[in-house]
Amino acid sequence: MSDVTLSSTPLPPRAKRRARRDLTSAGAVAAIMIVLVALWQVAAARGWINGQLFGSPAGIVRTAQISLAQGTLVPDTLTTLYETVVGLVVGSGLGIGLGLLLWFVPRVSGVAEGFSVLLNSIPKIALGPLIVIWFGSDMTSKVWLAAISTFAVAMISSCAAAREVDRDLLNLFRSFNARPSMIFRKLIVPSALPWIFSTLRVNIGFALIGAVVGEYIASQAGLGHAVFVAGSLFDLNTVWLGIIVLTLMATLLTWIVQFAEKRIITWKTKR
Amino acid sequence: MMRCVPLTHIGVSGIDEPSSDADAMPMSSSSLSSAPDAAAPVARLSVTALTHTFEAEHGGAVPIFAGLDFSVGSGEIVSIVGRSGAGKSTLFNLISGLLPPQAGRIAVGPRADGTPGRIAYMLQKDLLLPWRSVLENAVLGIELFRKVTAHDLERARHMLARYGLGAVAQAYPHSLSGGMRQRVALTRTLLVEPTLVLLDEPFSALDYETRLALEDDVMALRQSNGTSVVLVTHDIEEAIAMSDRVIILGGRPARIEQALDIKLTVEGSRTAISAREAPEFRMWHAQIWGALRGHSAQLGGLAA
Repeated sequence: MSDVTLSSTPLPPRAKRRARRDLTSAGAVAAIMIVLVALWQVAAARGWINGQLFGSPAGIVRTAQISLAQGTLVPDTLTTLYETVVGLVVGSGLGIGLGLLLWFVPRVSGVAEGFSVLLNSIPKIALGPLIVIWFGSDMTSKVWLAAISTFAVAMISSCAAAREVDRDLLNLFRSFNARPSMIFRKLIVPSALPWIFSTLRVNIGFALIGAVVGEYIASQAGLGHAVFVAGSLFDLNTVWLGIIVLTLMATLLTWIVQFAEKRIITWKTKR
Repeated sequence: MMRCVPLTHIGVSGIDEPSSDADAMPMSSSSLSSAPDAAAPVARLSVTALTHTFEAEHGGAVPIFAGLDFSVGSGEIVSIVGRSGAGKSTLFNLISGLLPPQAGRIAVGPRADGTPGRIAYMLQKDLLLPWRSVLENAVLGIELFRKVTAHDLERARHMLARYGLGAVAQAYPHSLSGGMRQRVALTRTLLVEPTLVLLDEPFSALDYETRLALEDDVMALRQSNGTSVVLVTHDIEEAIAMSDRVIILGGRPARIEQALDIKLTVEGSRTAISAREAPEFRMWHAQIWGALRGHSAQLGGLAA
């Protein structure tokens, strides 16, 4: 990638350059991954590392085939996906809705924000046993844990987004005698949208942690359940399989959110 | 009263003067060569004994204005100039209603048909909403107080077309130049049919040519619709070129040091260019410049 050829490219050079750079770095990541996996496989096959303690790529593939054949991988994946998505939607939805609506009541807003900062500083995982006791060991408790994990972040950031709305725009709306409900719908919500989407992206990870840790604590199904059980049996290949599927799930969810963001935020902001 | 009338009627000084209080504005002789109106028009804006004080950080009171008095008549363009810190922005916020006055009165006069008048303002920042198309931005002011009708959209399209924005009505603001964006903002301001347009340095971020064109657009308002304009600016040339009257704020607390009726001899109609070429232009410039620099004493009896 020489700068000389790049600078001689005609129009939109920046976009082109960025696309090329993205592609190059994606290629580099893939290449490094392949090398590492190959090294791992060789090391495990040659006995350089203990396959029992580290697992091996070939073992992971075999495990995947077996659990697909046994019909556990897909249901486990769907269980965790369900818990994560419902928890994410409920937690972020409530957080975003409440955070934005607090714009109407600035006095309450400060107090509520204080509470959500407090809630956010609780390690949500520590609430796991409580949640399991309250909501049982089925999916409901995982949904709640995922929801609680995402709620505070969503609320804090949407509260801030509503508060940080451009003061001049607010004044403009006021000069047109806009009612607060109009200001909310036509100014606060649209200008908070970019924040909302970045919050959602961050919350995918939090929801996934909530669901998986909930499954670690008490569960009958789910990837977290499978990983936990396999871990206690020193079945490292199943542990790795679970981690890989969870990573793919997180990536997929991130893509979906990014896709929605691109569809909804069609304008470009120059700020 | 404000339909999109094509800008054909261009008269130089067909301006009805306000029945203003001469004692408040020593320089405002307030009798131009205006055609006598049927009834003495009520001022579009009257500011009476306006006093405003800020609370300083240490708790003390900092008076900004003490007893400001002036009024703006129908179709009149009045500029308010002052050194920075003279309280121009505060005055803007008070007139636009963003700040409630602490003492005194700011009254917006009714329209010719007796319905309440309306102020709309425009700033240096165009304040277009990036998520709305040009057309949607233009009708924002209407949308915020009632349902936008097909007729409103028609008017909006018409006005956008008049400002050379017909082709970009569906585009998003980010694809527009600064001058185009400011014209969208002007369209948005005018579509709510204001009786008084309040401008705060609206063109200072634009290049010279675009600025002149927009000055012409604003000057054309009163001729087509009788819209009054108050321009808050530090740009003396712009103030002279556009205004019927220039009010100079000065001192602390600020008061009206002078109110000058700007008369320019131009051939044909007064435009941003022809006004600047008028023989009196330099004289007004020198006089306002001198007043702003605190040399008002040299100007004899001109000081308030």
